[in-house]
Amino acid sequence: MITAIACKEVFEAPPQALLKAALLNSSTEESDTSTVTIKGIGIDNTLYKDSSLTEILFPLSTKDTSKFLVSFDSVEDTITFIYETTMEYASMETGFYNEFKLHGITFSKNRIDSIAITDSLVTKTWNENIKLYIRPLSSGSN
Amino acid sequence: MRILSFTFVLCLLAAISYGQKEPQKKIKPKRTDNYIRMKGIRLGADISRPFQNLWTKGNRYGSEFSADMELWPNLFPAFESGIDIMKIKTDYVDYRSSGSYSRFGIDYNLLQAENKNDKNIFYVGLRYGFVLARQQVNSYSIDSYWGSTTGRFGNQNYFAHWGEFLLGIKGEIVHNFYMGWTIRGKIRLDNKDLGMPPAYFIPGYGKAAKGFNLDFTYSVYYNLPWDFRKSIDRKKAAAGVSPKITVTKKTPNKK
Repeated sequence: MITAIACKEVFEAPPQALLKAALLNSSTEESDTSTVTIKGIGIDNTLYKDSSLTEILFPLSTKDTSKFLVSFDSVEDTITFIYETTMEYASMETGFYNEFKLHGITFSKNRIDSIAITDSLVTKTWNENIKLYIRPLSSGSN
Repeated sequence: MRILSFTFVLCLLAAISYGQKEPQKKIKPKRTDNYIRMKGIRLGADISRPFQNLWTKGNRYGSEFSADMELWPNLFPAFESGIDIMKIKTDYVDYRSSGSYSRFGIDYNLLQAENKNDKNIFYVGLRYGFVLARQQVNSYSIDSYWGSTTGRFGNQNYFAHWGEFLLGIKGEIVHNFYMGWTIRGKIRLDNKDLGMPPAYFIPGYGKAAKGFNLDFTYSVYYNLPWDFRKSIDRKKAAAGVSPKITVTKKTPNKK
C-alpha cells in the first residue's frame, strides 16, 4: 500500500510565461471582442482558431523574435515581437521556464491601428503586457 | 485626620506586602544515577535511511552509521556519518544530488535510571552537520508552442552546514543490543549561491531552499562491551602508577 502511494508521485509541469494582449477598439478605446485566428509563422499548429476573444495570450519562442499571423474577423495582420529571453528556475520538481523582456513590436496595419506596450516584462504571472488597438469593422481594411 | 489617612495607607501597604509570598526557589533534586551506566562504544545503523522516498518527494535514499559513548554520566558524545542521494526524474527534469555528510555533537539523558542495569535513555541532543555535495541536471526540457528546448547543466560542487536539535530514545532490547528513534529539527547555517541552477538538495539536511527541515530516524545499535576506563587503569597499574589505589597502614594501638 505504502509502495503504491510512493509510486504515484505527481510532479507539476513548469510554469509558462505568456505575453498578454488586451484587444481594444481604436475608436472607443474600450474592450473589443473579435473572432480571432492566430498562427505562429513557421509553425503548423494554430494557436487560436475562430475564437471570440477580448484578450490574447501569445507564447514566445526562445529565439529573440516571434512572428504571428493574426486574423481579426478574417482580416489578416502580422505581428513580430522582439525581446530577450532569460531562463528561470522554478524547482527541481517542476523544472525550468523562460521569461522575456519585450524590446519592440512591429506589425502590419490592415486591421491593427496601433500597439502600446504597458509592461515589458513577460513573466509567469500573466499581467497585461500590450494594448492592441484594432479598427472597427465599419472602417474596413487598408 | 492626616495622620489617620497616613496610618491607613501604611497598613494597606503592609497588608499587600504580607500577602505576597517570597518566590520559592525551585531546587532541582540531584540525580541519583550519577554514574556511567553504559560501558563501551555503541555503534548504530539507521534503518530508516534507505526508505526515505516513502515520505519525501523524489527518489531519496542512503545509509547512515553512528557511534556514541557515555563519556560522563548521562552525557553521550556522538558521531554520525552517512551518504544521501536524491534523484528526480520527471518529463521536464532529470536531477541527481549526492554527498557524504557527517555530524557530531552530544546527547544528554533525561531518564533517571532505576538501577545500574537500566540502560534505557530518553535524551535531547545537539549536532553540527556538514557535507560536501554534488548536484547535476542531466537534462531539462522546456515545452512551448514553438517546440521543446532541451539542455543540461554540468556538475556543481558545494559545501553546506547546519545545526540540529533532537529528541529521542534508545532502549536495550537484549543484552548490548539497542533500538531507538529520533526526531530532528535541522536549521540551515549556510547555503552557497551556485547560480543557475541553485542547490536544490543538501545531503543529510534536505531541501536547500528551506531554512528549517524536520527529520525522523530509526536505528539499531550494538554496544561494543569495551570498558576503556578499566583498560587505562590496568595500563597504569602495569606501569606502576596506581592513583586510585590507596594503601593504608594499620598502626597498632598504643596502650
